[in-house]
Amino acid sequence: MIGGLDFSVVRDNLSYFFIGRYPKGPLGGVGLTLYLAVVSLALSFIGGLILGLLSVSRNRLLRYGSMAAIQTIRGMPLLMVIFWMFFLLPAMLGGGMTASWTIIVALTLFTSAYMSEIVRAGITGIPKGQMEAAISTGLSHGQAMIHIILPQALRNMIPSFVNQFVSMIKDTSLAFIVGVSELTQIATQINNRTMLYPTEIFIFIAVIYFIICFAFTELSRWLERRLAYRKAI
Amino acid sequence: MLSYKFDWAIVTSGKYFDWIVSGFYVTIKLSAVSIALSFMLGLIIAIMRMSHFRPVRWFAHGYLEFFRNTPLLVQIFFWYFGSYKVLPAVANDWLVKQDFEFAAAVIALTIYTSAFIAEDIRSGVRSIPKEQMEAARSSGFSYLRSMQFIILPQAVRLTIPPLINQFLNLMKNSSLAMTIGVAELMYQARQVESYTFKGFEAFSAATLVYVAISFTITGLMTLYDKKVLQPLKGR
Amino acid sequence: MARKIGLFVLALAMVGVLCGAALAGDTLADVKKNGVLVAGVKDSLPPFGSVDPNTKEYVGYDIDFVKYIAKKLGVKVEFKPVSSANRMPMLMEGRVDLLACTMTKNPERAKQIDFSYTYFLTGQKFLTKKGTVKSLKDLEGKKIGTAKGSTSEQNVTKAVPSATVLSFDDYPQAVLGVQQGKVIAATTDESILAGQLGKLEKNPATKGKFEIPDLAISEEPYGLGMRKGDTNLVKFVNDTILEMEKNGEAAKIFEKWFGPNSDSPIKRGSFKITADKRGT
Repeated sequence: MIGGLDFSVVRDNLSYFFIGRYPKGPLGGVGLTLYLAVVSLALSFIGGLILGLLSVSRNRLLRYGSMAAIQTIRGMPLLMVIFWMFFLLPAMLGGGMTASWTIIVALTLFTSAYMSEIVRAGITGIPKGQMEAAISTGLSHGQAMIHIILPQALRNMIPSFVNQFVSMIKDTSLAFIVGVSELTQIATQINNRTMLYPTEIFIFIAVIYFIICFAFTELSRWLERRLAYRKAI
Repeated sequence: MLSYKFDWAIVTSGKYFDWIVSGFYVTIKLSAVSIALSFMLGLIIAIMRMSHFRPVRWFAHGYLEFFRNTPLLVQIFFWYFGSYKVLPAVANDWLVKQDFEFAAAVIALTIYTSAFIAEDIRSGVRSIPKEQMEAARSSGFSYLRSMQFIILPQAVRLTIPPLINQFLNLMKNSSLAMTIGVAELMYQARQVESYTFKGFEAFSAATLVYVAISFTITGLMTLYDKKVLQPLKGR
Repeated sequence: MARKIGLFVLALAMVGVLCGAALAGDTLADVKKNGVLVAGVKDSLPPFGSVDPNTKEYVGYDIDFVKYIAKKLGVKVEFKPVSSANRMPMLMEGRVDLLACTMTKNPERAKQIDFSYTYFLTGQKFLTKKGTVKSLKDLEGKKIGTAKGSTSEQNVTKAVPSATVLSFDDYPQAVLGVQQGKVIAATTDESILAGQLGKLEKNPATKGKFEIPDLAISEEPYGLGMRKGDTNLVKFVNDTILEMEKNGEAAKIFEKWFGPNSDSPIKRGSFKITADKRGT
């Protein structure tokens, strides 16, 4: 049946798939997908770190408060978080935010909750003796965390972070629902216009997503092996 | 905006409440059907992935990598809008006569989730000491039989927590089915919003339902861990 | 805890409501000051609004109206894609200054936003495979596709209560559903369906297989949407489109997109842009 497919629709719209209306308009397509994913991941790293540290804080209020927030976000579908942001952010900030940034905030909020679990697992994975040793050399709890525990924990977390990036790229496809012209939105747009080639269009973008995500999945595996090797010596 | 008045009554009773409730039922039905199917499919793929016959192993490996590394939304669109060109005409005609939106969502969710479940099962199996398989084989069981009677029952028990996690993910992911017109919870919440312009109330109600389901399942999982897994490990 | 979170969320919302109030200023003055008019339009719904695949520019009936208004104002235009479901929030939240996106005027919407005079008049019909639908009876108990958050959705539920209405993100997806036999009909305004039919007619694979039966279930006056209380902009827009009618620009734009030589020929009939009160 594959023989019956006509991929000329992909060829005719190739630049539109990859960069959208750029340079006549804003960047779209694969370019925007990567932009959304990279920016949101960088911000979620910070968000995850903060939430993760709060969730191992010795202050009970902070610990339980942050854990409740984390669990609530994790209990929601990403789509729900996106709708909430679309609904609340403009009201809170007075509408100065573009749709792309609203999506970035939603992705960041959502992913930070997952990242914080990685951070927490990373921190609790470092033997307790290290913290005790650090404190006994005169460092404060905070200093010990920043100089001794975190650097080790972060190194162990690298593969998980790369995995989160893969999830992030997949998650950016939801930006379609609010009309941000990333790859999936561009695909539906072209599909709406041409009507006859949904099969070809969706296979094509699935393959594009696969190539990007698979490359990063492999990178994460390679990092994991390397880390394991470094630990072994 | 200043005139925004909260009107919680619209989501606690009457027509719009009924919409939310019916959305809840569809979400549960969609998740339940999909999780059952993806468990079966995941099990099959996991066994194929560990097969000694290379082409089978490669096929399973390719399946895993492809479906895990493609957005679910794209897969849903593919099955709903795109599958008619790759499915045999008979299958297509049959599907169209059924509830196609629901079916496409089930197919996409099942295939996507099965890829994750297969990996979970495989790591469960790998955590069972190799000697058990050798022992089973040497006592006369075939490979498949030893899998069936010795390895899988143990692996599945260990795999239950990650499986429940997958179920949670699936339940949340099922919200994407709204894009192809399946009237599940998220779809209904948006419907209420577009009919009443009361987005805050509609989204709050849906959020509450999702979070409540999540918390219930997480709670059960913790219980299982305490009552079943910890004693097992301790033994 | 849950209570605290609830209070917090409520507080956030309150802050939001207050900030939102600050929005409803004088958009006309702001637009002139910033030198740019931000218009919410459809991006894949020819002949009203779509992106031309070659030039990557927005084109269509709605687009031409916005361009004329911006020219009159002496400002640049920025087009932002909107869907039927998100356009009202986009406007109310201040993401766009004006909506030109096949929007039917009706009393419920008029409570939330202000409309211009009717700049396009059409009626809701059905697009079907040829010969499958002759009267509304043929639709009973069947699946009908349309777009989320549209008046089409609400009208068809009333007109054919026994039908299952499937709502997609936009109309072309509903038409795709007809083509693939997943729904018996796609329903929305004739003008939009004509554009879709025109597209199907152009393709050899689908030519002559579809039609729009003569079954109208409503009258649909389109208006340009603006924020509630934005009286200066509303007045400016109304004056401009009345001028367009007078100097023949409106008829010219109609001819360009819906005339006999266009891809979606329909008749303008006796419709003229006037200071009407349709849909309110």
